[in-house]
Amino acid sequence: MSVVVIGLSHRSAPVELRERFAFPESNIPEALKQLRESGLVTEGVVLSTCNRVEIYAATALAPDDQFFARVKKFFVEHHAYDGELGDELYTFAEPHSLHHLFKVAAGLDSMVIGETEIFGQLKKAYDLAFSHKFTGARLNKAFQRAFNVAKHIRTETNIQRGSVSVMSAAVELAEKIFSSLAEHEVLVIGAGETSEKTARALQSRGVQKITVTNRSPERAQALAAELGAGASTVPFEQWPEVFERIDIAVSSTAATTHILDRAKLEPLMRRRKNRPLLLVDIAVPRDIDPAVSELENVYLYNVDDLKAIADEYLKLRHEELDRCNQIIAEKVAALLTANRYSATDSHR
Amino acid sequence: MAWFTDRHLFCLAVLFYGSATVYSLFLWRKGFRRDDWVNYFLLAAGVALHTGSMFKRGLTLHSCPVNNLYEATTFLLWALGLASLVYGLLPKFKFICAFAAPVLFTVGVFALMPSLDVHGPKPEFSGALRSLHAATILQAYGAFGLAAVAAMMFLAQQHDLKVHKLRALLSFLPSIQRLEVITTRLVIVGFVLLTVGLVAGSQLPRKDGASYFADAKVIWSALLWLVYLEILVAHKFFGRPARRFALGVAIAFVFLLLTFGITNHFSVLHN
Repeated sequence: MSVVVIGLSHRSAPVELRERFAFPESNIPEALKQLRESGLVTEGVVLSTCNRVEIYAATALAPDDQFFARVKKFFVEHHAYDGELGDELYTFAEPHSLHHLFKVAAGLDSMVIGETEIFGQLKKAYDLAFSHKFTGARLNKAFQRAFNVAKHIRTETNIQRGSVSVMSAAVELAEKIFSSLAEHEVLVIGAGETSEKTARALQSRGVQKITVTNRSPERAQALAAELGAGASTVPFEQWPEVFERIDIAVSSTAATTHILDRAKLEPLMRRRKNRPLLLVDIAVPRDIDPAVSELENVYLYNVDDLKAIADEYLKLRHEELDRCNQIIAEKVAALLTANRYSATDSHR
Repeated sequence: MAWFTDRHLFCLAVLFYGSATVYSLFLWRKGFRRDDWVNYFLLAAGVALHTGSMFKRGLTLHSCPVNNLYEATTFLLWALGLASLVYGLLPKFKFICAFAAPVLFTVGVFALMPSLDVHGPKPEFSGALRSLHAATILQAYGAFGLAAVAAMMFLAQQHDLKVHKLRALLSFLPSIQRLEVITTRLVIVGFVLLTVGLVAGSQLPRKDGASYFADAKVIWSALLWLVYLEILVAHKFFGRPARRFALGVAIAFVFLLLTFGITNHFSVLHN
């Protein structure tokens, strides 16, 4: 009995193909039932996300070309796909299948390396198959080991360290300036999607008070309502007046000129008694004059600065890949050895 | 083992401070990216030996070992080292030891100069008040030293944040606001201890005709007291920016270190 994988992902197939082969969650038990009834596999788990569609299975058959051709046929026929398929669909037999499973669980095969969402998705896919009794000793062991390896990699390496998005980089910066975000108020200038995402990221790290301002007061009110309790609005003409109490300002208006410059900020900083102020300018063209960063206690970051931070973190994550792959190779070898021993024992 | 004196123990402590300094440079180059206990334990070993050295001397003298420049300097360093270890236990404050180690090592090497450890005649006046005076003042200097170390951490982190260096995010250093709070608290502690020490000193018996307020060391201490008062008041009540506050704290401590020994030579009361 060995573990095999067949599927396609963001690495091998475009989104049009991935969505064509996606399994709606409600159809997964039926698909696994059909797969088992085909006699090809004895155990199976279907993982279907926006970035990958994969079947993990345990089979008693020899995982050769003929076997994989039959599984591919099932895969294609199940989705009633009549187009051409080349390298988009990949297949793995042991030990590569286990190596792949461990990499997926640890987020090493994800679009954003080290992301953790896939761990939850994989766990959910496994739980679904387990609850419908489509898994057995082989897959249970492989998946449990994969989850442990993912946790191990998370704690032992820097693969998940740092912010790889502009919004989370802004939040991380705020945490390096202020002791506790819960005690600091945020001003959101402009009620666009990016402002909302940044505000939500700040809320997720403890920010409780947010003031929203926008040229159109209706949009400001709508965003404040979206952000929930603790969010309020201020008329666009009056936003400099709240500067005395806020410590973080996120700006993303569609203005074509600077809405905040040094001459405007200097007296405001005096009124703030020079408390630190983090300015996050995610607008293009920029809302805040870069000259304000020359002022004491003003920390200005624009979208390029934040992107550079996110890219640098991503680079660091890539540098950790070798360590992660080494850990995975060791764990796969250990699992295969354990499987061999248990197979020998069962034959005695 | 009679040849093995308290100075030998202190010498070993300085060696540990030196090792911690070298390791600090390594940590600095790596951008304080990983949580690291090595530096903390090197400093802890140094402080343990340092404590042993002071204890040994205290037993020999049957009093608090603060009778000459060597003893005063080692007492100051001991207060600084011990406080660094305590603060190092706070979340993300472990690297305070990496910033304190170079100060402990440099001043420690200076303290080992034989000319500083001169055994003069037994002090004319002794007792609890004298010990209180010396201990509180030296502990105040220790607090100012640690404040300067926290201020240097603040300046390094603030600079990195200002010029958008990724190191600011990658390092295991506290937020600059937290560093500012800790620096301010340490300056306040040092200031209170210095005040207590100066008041206790004014109550000590003196030789006939010797004026407390005309003594070089007392004038220097009063000047120091005023400097720290200005630093605190300007920051707390007049909104002096945190960077200039931190710079002031660091400069004031460098001034303290550089002039501490010299003023002793001109002091009638302390000779």
